[in-house]
Parts: sequence; structure tokens; C-alpha cells
Amino acid sequence: MSIEDKVLRYKKTLNIFPNPQEKYQYLIEQAKKSEDFPDELRIDEFKVNGCQSQVWLVPEEKDDRLFFKSDSDALIAKGLVTLIASIYSDEKPQDIANSKIDLMEEFELGVILSPARRNGAFSMLKTIREFALKLTD
Amino acid sequence: MIKVTNIKKDFPIFERQINGNKLTYLDSGATSQKPNQVIDEMSDVYKNNNANVHRGTYVLSSETTSKYENVRSKFQKFINAYDSDEIIFTKGCTEGFNLLSNSLCKDFSEGDEIILSEIEHHANIIPWQMAAEKYKLKIKYIKVDESYNLDMNHLEELLSSKTKIVSIVGESNMSGMLPNIKEIVSSVKLKSDAIFILDGAQLVPHRVVDVQDLGIDFLCVSGHKMLGPTGIGVVWGRKELWDSMDPVYGGGDMIEEVHYDKATWAQVPHKFEAGTPPFVEAIGLGAAVDYLQNISMTEVQQHSDNLREYAKNKLENIDGLNIVHSLSKNAGCTFSMSVDGAHATDISLMLDTYGVAVRAGHHCVQPFHRKLNLDATFRATGYIYNNEEDFDTLASAIEDSLKILK
Repeated sequence: MSIEDKVLRYKKTLNIFPNPQEKYQYLIEQAKKSEDFPDELRIDEFKVNGCQSQVWLVPEEKDDRLFFKSDSDALIAKGLVTLIASIYSDEKPQDIANSKIDLMEEFELGVILSPARRNGAFSMLKTIREFALKLTD
Repeated sequence: MIKVTNIKKDFPIFERQINGNKLTYLDSGATSQKPNQVIDEMSDVYKNNNANVHRGTYVLSSETTSKYENVRSKFQKFINAYDSDEIIFTKGCTEGFNLLSNSLCKDFSEGDEIILSEIEHHANIIPWQMAAEKYKLKIKYIKVDESYNLDMNHLEELLSSKTKIVSIVGESNMSGMLPNIKEIVSSVKLKSDAIFILDGAQLVPHRVVDVQDLGIDFLCVSGHKMLGPTGIGVVWGRKELWDSMDPVYGGGDMIEEVHYDKATWAQVPHKFEAGTPPFVEAIGLGAAVDYLQNISMTEVQQHSDNLREYAKNKLENIDGLNIVHSLSKNAGCTFSMSVDGAHATDISLMLDTYGVAVRAGHHCVQPFHRKLNLDATFRATGYIYNNEEDFDTLASAIEDSLKILK
């Protein structure tokens, strides 16, 4: 499934929830059922700067495709980073780097996706893009 | 007694709905809301008087200058300063500390000491750290004990003839702690020749402050935390100290005579106010002072004490809630909270869905959070427009949020 298709699928799911509280509850559920994150990866190298809570994003390259493992010590941020990681996982670095889709605009996630530069989601997306760009050089 | 329902009517922001709920604003520790009186006064200056201060020889400039300079006198009365010339306008409390550290520390000798406390705001740490590095000074921190109050015995141990500055928070933005300033000042003056600086960022908006009675040397104040606009603050200092100090910022309006190779300085206060000052913001601050004095600071203080008592009981009854709050009889209405197994940012995001605005993070008090082994807390602060109902809403929103988060 392409990045755009995955975004569309999540957008449809998120639209089912009419208010921010239910959207947060959905993210919390995603966080709770996400796969375990290895303790040894919880290191500064993989920490995403600029988040209010601690967020880790670990890239892995397999068969020319990028995969992301993620974690956070806060549930809503963890749900968000899980969702973002799944959108950009199993994709070619070139496709990630070329993707023009703006998650901030696509998802209505209240204050956690406000288009402010000093914002956790912004930093998560920037980190993923940087990983992809490094591999397309 | 303050009638909160009447006060709320003066603050247009309370007409807002947040996520379908009425706004429960409990983040005045970060910034206060503004009454119509402040908003209208500033808008009135822009509409009717606006002209640069101190320069023009025409009606508008003379009007703005007199409005601007009047605020100095208002503020002098507000904190009972000796003279209105002792009031220096800055852009905020942070700039106040930077002004003081830059102007004072260059005259100290290597190894001289600055005493702060463990629970200071970064604004009262970083400027001193920067000066300490530049002039090879030492910084020492008064310990905070398990009741979240200053360890006075430790202060006694730290004080010596090497102590040049003691700079302490007047009301903690994390625990509401109200140090006994008079007691601290008398210890400081007995054992050293140090200058005593009070961080009034949280204290001045909430309590009666009389600089003469406290016996302090400098007071830093933030305008936007006391109903005023952003971009304006005050540093009060004893006139003889200001007179002996060099300016930090150079430019227009702070000079007496300028030659190509040298210049002489204007008298205080203008010596410390280079360039066009934020005069409209200062006039807005004047309106905020009027508003608070209309209520009377004794009433404002009483309201803070009553609300703190109510909030304390309410929050202490929430299962699993850890509260970093002064255990003293008196403290500010400020509660930093954490819950084992639930992150502070998650709690504050959930509270927002109930229309409750609190701050999450380290509130610019990172070292003390680290000492308590806390990554982050969420903080509720009450002010004149908050009442018991706001803390009821907070308490039930915390309980509901925890049900979802845990």
C-alpha cells in the first residue's frame, strides 16, 4: 500500500471519531497494542528532539525498503508515532523523500498536530524524512 | 471578598468555548489573561495618542510621554518604592535578570559567590551562570527541604564575605513556596555585603509587595503575569545602586552627550532604557496595576490563600496524584502534579478536551524536577478570575482522564 493510501485509510478511521477526546483514545489504543520496543534502542541516538515527551524512532533498512520501530514514554505521543511509523514503514526511501503529503493538513488531531514548528509531530516527520534522504543521496 | 463572577466578565477570553466546554484557565503561572481595561487602554493609545516618547515637541508625543512616565509613579506606589526613578522598564522578568547580571557581575573578583536556590526559574539561573563563566564566579544553591521550603540552615552555611549576590524566588512557580524574605534578607545582610534580588514574577501578581518593608535591593517583575501585556516588565532597584551601575544596552534615549569617541549617560531611569521603549505595553501595564489596585492587593492575596486552601484539599483527595506543593501554612495557589504510570503531557492533553488549560513540562525549573526524579509535571495555577468551581472541574477532569490513561 502506498504512503498516500495508508494516510487515506487512517484519515477515514480518525474521521469516525467526532471529538479530540475520542481521537486521543484511539491513539492511546494504538499505543497500548503496539509491539514491544527493545530497551537497548531507548538511547539518545534515536531520540526525536523537540517533543514534549520522550520519543524514539529507529530506522531499519531491509531489501531497499525502510522500516521504523518507535516508542514514547507518553501514550498519546506513542500512538501518534506508531501511526506515523506505520505510514512510512515498508516504503522505499525515494518514495518517502518524494512524498508531498502533509500529515499536519490531512489529519485533524487537535493540538497535537497543530502546524507549529516546535511541535512533536513536526519533529517526528522531519526525522523520518532525514533518514530517507540520507539513503537517497 | 473578591466576586469572581464579576471579575470574569471583564475578561473577554472567558466567552470562548474550548472543545465544546467552557474555558477553565489554570495556567496563569505561564501568563495571565487580560481584562478589557488593559486591552482598551492600549487600543486607545494606538487610536488617539500614538507618538514616540521623550522626543517630540507636539501634543501626541507629550501625551504618550506623560502616560508612559505616569506608569512609573503608579508602579512606585504599587510596590512602595522610594522613588519613581527607581522603576526601570524592561521587556520582562528575564531581561531584568540579564540586565542585573550583566551590570553587576563585571565588578566582582574571581571566586566571588552568587547564591541562588535549588527551585529557581531558569531566568534566575542562566543569566548568573553566563556571568559566572565570564567573570570566574561561583554559584551556590540553597537546598530545598522535603516540605518544599528553603533550608535556612543551609543558607547560613553558604553565606560568607565572598557572597556578592543572593537572588531568590519570591513565590515558586512550581511549588507555590513563599520563602520568608525578611528573614533571608536579615541573614544575608548580617553575614555579607551581598546585594539581595527578589524574583517577583509570581509574587507580585498575587501578593502585597512592599520593597521598603522587605529590605531588598532589587525586584524583577513580569508584566504579562499580572494582567498586563507581554513584552513589558519592571526592575525596581535602590536609587543609589542604579546610580553606581553602568548601563548594559547602548543607543538612543539613554545618553546625555554623544561625541564620536565617547558618550555620557542619562540619569536613571533612562540610563537603562536604550531605544524606543515598549511604551504602549508599559501603559497597558499601568492599566493592569490600576485594575489590581481597584480590587486591592490585600483582597487579591486573600483570594489566592482561600483558593489555595480549597484546591489543596480537593487535589489531595485524588487517588494516586503526587503533588509538589509547599507544606507551609502559606503558599501560592500553584500545584505541580504527577501520576505514576501516566505522563504529564498525556494528562494535560486529556484535560484540554474538557476545556481545562494547564501547563505540562518542567515549567523552566528543570534542575529541581531532576532532583525529584520527575521528567515532567502538569501544573495548575489559580488567579483572581478562578474560583472553587474551576478546581472542581480540574479535579473531576483529572479523575476522568486517568480512567482513560491508566
